[in-house]
Amino acid sequence: MRLARVVSQTRLARICWRAGGPVALAALGLVLGLAPPGNAEKSGAAPLALDADASARPWVRYHGWPTRDSAQFNSLAALASPPAPAGPRKLDRPLTGDAAKGRVLVADRTRGGSCLACHVMGPAGNADLPGNVGPDLSEIGKAGRDDAWLFNYVYDARAYNPDTLMPPWGTNGIFNEAEIGDIVAFLKTLTTPAQYHDVLDDPAKRPTPVEKRDNLDSMVNPGMWAVEDKAPALWALPGPNGPACATCHRQPAQAFEAWAAAMPKWEPRLDKVLGVEEFVTRHAKATTGHVWLMQSEENTALAVYLRFLANGGTIDVDTQSAPAKAAYGRGEALSTRKVGQLNFACVDCHSPQRGANKWIRGQWLAQMRGQLDHFPTWRTSQQAIWDIRKRFQWCQVAIWANELPPHAKEYGDLELYLTAQSNGLKLNVPGIRH
Amino acid sequence: MAERPRLKVPKEAKKGEVIEIKTLISHAMESGLRKDDSGTLVPRKIINRFTCEFNGKAVFACDLEPGMAANPYFQFTVKVEESGTFRFSWTDDDGTVVTADEAITVT
Repeated sequence: MRLARVVSQTRLARICWRAGGPVALAALGLVLGLAPPGNAEKSGAAPLALDADASARPWVRYHGWPTRDSAQFNSLAALASPPAPAGPRKLDRPLTGDAAKGRVLVADRTRGGSCLACHVMGPAGNADLPGNVGPDLSEIGKAGRDDAWLFNYVYDARAYNPDTLMPPWGTNGIFNEAEIGDIVAFLKTLTTPAQYHDVLDDPAKRPTPVEKRDNLDSMVNPGMWAVEDKAPALWALPGPNGPACATCHRQPAQAFEAWAAAMPKWEPRLDKVLGVEEFVTRHAKATTGHVWLMQSEENTALAVYLRFLANGGTIDVDTQSAPAKAAYGRGEALSTRKVGQLNFACVDCHSPQRGANKWIRGQWLAQMRGQLDHFPTWRTSQQAIWDIRKRFQWCQVAIWANELPPHAKEYGDLELYLTAQSNGLKLNVPGIRH
Repeated sequence: MAERPRLKVPKEAKKGEVIEIKTLISHAMESGLRKDDSGTLVPRKIINRFTCEFNGKAVFACDLEPGMAANPYFQFTVKVEESGTFRFSWTDDDGTVVTADEAITVT
């Protein structure tokens, strides 16, 4: 009897979604005197609002972020960067750079972190905490390189090495030719190995960061406030259409103990990959009528909550179905696309074959596997919860590229690819990171 | 005003035991020294006093100054001799006081 009633409610729900959504369902439920379905998560494809963007349109960059417009360089959605040179340029006159000026330029943090971000540069450089993504240049001055080689290598290293990680400082307009001449003059003065003041200065010996705090203790991690306070309140809040999340999902802890571990997922109705955040926006709109756009406080709180409920579950996103496989392939391709004025691809910094597990200045570059197990995460440096889409956006702005809106389909493909790198790991949300 | 405070107080203790109490309240602790984008000072608004009483008797109290970080967190120890109730209170610059109670059984 009980089973029959559940089945009939489920069928009814499906019919009603076709007939006109939650209002029709609520009306029918009233007419027939039925209790609203309490286990809606088992009733087939979830209703989604399909008609609008899931984040603010037009997208406006966050307050306080750099305002630089990088439209003349590649983004994850468009190609625009100047091409690589065919080969090294001939210098038509001898270089007359000023080594003292060059010494300042190599440490200029306003120029994409500059040389010391990636290179140890001997006892000089006016800065501590050098990185080690690139080779140690402490003795480059006695390496037997002529002015033209050094100039071209700094101007655009692709002239010699198409696979280089180094930004094309000259081609992409970060340093002008006179400045590159100054840098070359400085490089020629480097002839002695680096002397470190202490172990922290030496990127080969600097201890790698380890996060050991109890991230599920709300005394330790303010990200847990979303789980303990904000999300349960939102869950019970009736929307303009009448129902609340809790109307259909009465026991979220049981119902969602695995759901988020399989997200993001290909969504045929939208022809894109949906992560938890965009799903929340579209599903809440279609059912409760709540407008919880991506990156709103409500959306982030619910995304943290839903992923928290799947904590301990093994991350297992679909990469095998045909559309998922295609999305994974697109995500993988995007991860190798050079973007921004600094001309970096995701893999340049986050593949162990390239820059991952090394230092950019004092910042540790993490590899892709092991990222999506703790997002959304509390960021101590920002005093805020960031989901993975916001992290993508910041990665791009930081390499002088224009970010995409959080709902961009390119981010969906990238999120699927990146999450798949963590398949087999256990969810542990919200994390704590710098 | 602040959201609900977080408390960690043991539910039970032995007579004469020294217990550890942790409290945290989320609050921006606006120092009054910061300027907004237009260059005008953001007015000071902080929790300026925190107290803890046990059965009506003060066991811990302190004044807070504008240098305190957001979300002030306290951890302190109390020797308990009898069952009763801790009352915690946080006083905001705007005059509002948030209170929270936590009972403990002492055997």
